[in-house]
Amino acid sequence: MTIYPAIDLKDGHCVRLVQGKLTNQTVYSSAPADVARRFQQQGARWLHIVDLDGAFTGTPANLKAIEAIADAVTIPFQVGGGLRRISDVEQMLQAGASRVIIGTRAVEGPDFIKQLLDEFGNERIVLGLDARDGKVAVQGWVETVEMTAIELGKQMQQLGIKTAVYTDVSRDGLLSGPNLEAIRQVAINTGLSIIASGGISSVEHINALRDMEADGVVGAIIGKALYEGKLTMAQALAAAKTKK
Amino acid sequence: MIVIIDYGVGNLASVQNAFRQAGFSSVITSEPEQILKARRIVLPGVGAFADGMSSLEKMGLTGVIFEAVQKEIPLLGICLGMQMLFSTSEEAGLHRGLDLIPGKVRRFQLPASYKVPHMGWNSIRVADNSRLFKDIPSGSYVYFVHSFYTEPEDPQVSTAVSAYGIEFTCAVEKGNIFGTQFHPEKSGQVGLRVLRNFGELKA
Repeated sequence: MTIYPAIDLKDGHCVRLVQGKLTNQTVYSSAPADVARRFQQQGARWLHIVDLDGAFTGTPANLKAIEAIADAVTIPFQVGGGLRRISDVEQMLQAGASRVIIGTRAVEGPDFIKQLLDEFGNERIVLGLDARDGKVAVQGWVETVEMTAIELGKQMQQLGIKTAVYTDVSRDGLLSGPNLEAIRQVAINTGLSIIASGGISSVEHINALRDMEADGVVGAIIGKALYEGKLTMAQALAAAKTKK
Repeated sequence: MIVIIDYGVGNLASVQNAFRQAGFSSVITSEPEQILKARRIVLPGVGAFADGMSSLEKMGLTGVIFEAVQKEIPLLGICLGMQMLFSTSEEAGLHRGLDLIPGKVRRFQLPASYKVPHMGWNSIRVADNSRLFKDIPSGSYVYFVHSFYTEPEDPQVSTAVSAYGIEFTCAVEKGNIFGTQFHPEKSGQVGLRVLRNFGELKA
């Protein structure tokens, strides 16, 4: 299983929110590129980057910081947040992202995703499946729609999407542990490879996710626990190693 | 100076950036004079084989590469850049490569459970005598994005292999000609070590 350390960008800074709320924000660094480099030095093989300004406004807003990250590391990274137009996706891939994550726009209908898959292929386009109480959350998690995460995931899988980042919004930034059963259900019922996110903060959480590899859980995104020192990269990487 | 050949394909900044992190300055250029004065030459590349070859030819760079090889300037092909070192490719028809390393570029023919392109981190097994993989142990992980793989005629030139459905050559060395199918510029600390070895090797 792959560990994805998370870098959430707000006004060019590296921050963490609690449950996605802007009023509950901690700034960890004003130099996200340094944070990225540190993760790489600690052994990370991927980075997960979120443009929070983009997620809330619908327009990518941290391109400079993302380009600085691309200059600072030599590992692949994925970016999500505010990618609502083909040109946004193009720009992000051009900036050095290996994959982009599409959330809100996937909910608005299959055409956009179809177009992206045709253009860039399913290795570069990842579905952002954000859920609160099983319902899909959009627009920086401010809104929910009347569709379950499993319904959307299935629909997208049929279009050709292969991988999804599944975030349990109610758990994010709380260090309270992932909603394991929900993650398993999404993985099994959608047929997608699932990168789990939200509340993952201990070796036990990672072990539990790793044990769901056969169900299709391929990765874990870890944010706050790394920044708060509850978990080190080394511990996370060791726990994620596939049992032979 | 390390010269990264610009023939109009791909994001070369990431290669330059990785060399900088490995401790080497480099220039991105398509100027024959600059290429022939280089201490090291890098042939990067993404995209289709035929497009890559035709760009090199149109820009008059194939002859420059042959001349550089004759001058024994160490050359590193990355991804498509490595594939173009070979004799032929079966990507979208049959196309001629630079033929610096006899052999073919072939498409993965794999069961449906294997997605092509092969994209992501994978482990490699390294030959003992490799100069490019000095101090890099077998079992190290590197980052791949490709749908085709190389099959050298002489197995001796293969200095690293990886497995994706089948075992395939993922790095070659022949004299001062080197190639990696994986992307050292995206392969973290291991990739930086490969680039440093290339920068430091005795030509």
